[in-house]
Amino acid sequence: MRRYIPIIFVLVIVIVVPVSFIKKEKTSKEELGKLLFFDPILSQDHTISCASCHKPEYAFADTSAVSKGVTRKKGSRNTPSAMNVSLLSSFFWDGRAADLEQQSLAPIENVSEMNLPLQQALYRLKNNKNYYRLFQEAFADEPTAKNLAAAIAAFERTLETSDSPFDNWKFSDDPNAVTDGVKRGFALFSGKGKCTSCHFGSNFTNNEFRNIGLFNARNLKDSGRSLISGKNEDVGRFKTPGLRNVAITAPYMHNGIFKTLKQVIDFYNDPGKVVPNAINRDSLLAKPLGLTTQEKKDIEVFLHSLTDKRFHEVSKRK
Amino acid sequence: MLYSALMIFYAFAGENQLIGRWESKPSEKGNVTGVVFKDSTFEGYVNKKPFVSGVYKMEKDTFSFVDNGCEGKRGVYKIIFFSELDSLRFEPILDSCDGRRAGMSRLVLGRKK
Repeated sequence: MRRYIPIIFVLVIVIVVPVSFIKKEKTSKEELGKLLFFDPILSQDHTISCASCHKPEYAFADTSAVSKGVTRKKGSRNTPSAMNVSLLSSFFWDGRAADLEQQSLAPIENVSEMNLPLQQALYRLKNNKNYYRLFQEAFADEPTAKNLAAAIAAFERTLETSDSPFDNWKFSDDPNAVTDGVKRGFALFSGKGKCTSCHFGSNFTNNEFRNIGLFNARNLKDSGRSLISGKNEDVGRFKTPGLRNVAITAPYMHNGIFKTLKQVIDFYNDPGKVVPNAINRDSLLAKPLGLTTQEKKDIEVFLHSLTDKRFHEVSKRK
Repeated sequence: MLYSALMIFYAFAGENQLIGRWESKPSEKGNVTGVVFKDSTFEGYVNKKPFVSGVYKMEKDTFSFVDNGCEGKRGVYKIIFFSELDSLRFEPILDSCDGRRAGMSRLVLGRKK
């Protein structure tokens, strides 16, 4: 046994000593934000996290018309995708948050969502040894509202997608990346369909609020932007959503009224036929578009081409 | 001297100096805007995400175009090349699309090699 002692000693020196010098990288704001995003610690009864409604496999959107919060309480609007948000200038369907930091705290306190007063959320994080350490690493500070918002927002800013067939066609200049149907659909989207009047930009939204005719003060009572601005002209207006990955974020519209893209395109083709008594519908939609069946199909395949490659398996199931 | 000679040569030779990929430097928020010019078409993008497609004509230093935004309104700009034709900016001559005019007026692009 004695003869092995020097060998063991050398092994200890060679293996253990270097390991003790490996310095662990400090946790970044984005990594901390990701942990928080997926952790039910921020909901009243520890049952749901941000990711419960912003499901990663569906481009961080939900598959229900409206999501259920703690105690299975239903929300009032459809959960939008949390992806491709870094260039947005307002958040929520009514635009009540001006930046991602403001947006990130609201669902925590919302009684229909996570229903946890912010002070309680911070109390939990401060008394959680792991989170206390991670906040120190990321911010050199204890958990505060500002740090919590900054961490979640930083994570959300990483959720950008730019590797769809459409991107490969237009950015990488590969004409074979998409079918002829996609090319025709894009031409219709930009022309006869008038879609780019609102869905213009790198994420296919011009960040405006529009009334597309889903408010009639009867069965469609959500008046949208006007609840925030107090302006009459904003009655029935909602933020124009981006369209990246739209093929996997059904159902659609602020209330999740349409289950398929086909229904959405049929609606835009003749909104008055679907909701005849809408109030203040935007003049852009005053006349039916007159799209043929083939044209509608082409627009639909174009919208499918906006799906990032990471979601292609989900997309095939749709 | 060489720069001036080049400018005169290209202006009269009629060679389209726009063709190729051009990009801005990252903005304060890190956003990079770029444009790929072909013979008569172009594709604009932000952070590798395409956002505008259009057709254009170049006559001497005047760039006129129509894109898929701005409801088909034509924009006319003077293109000012600098840094030995490796950078450019746009000076509006005629564009009734306010958002586009504001965006293009502050855009400075460098040629991507």
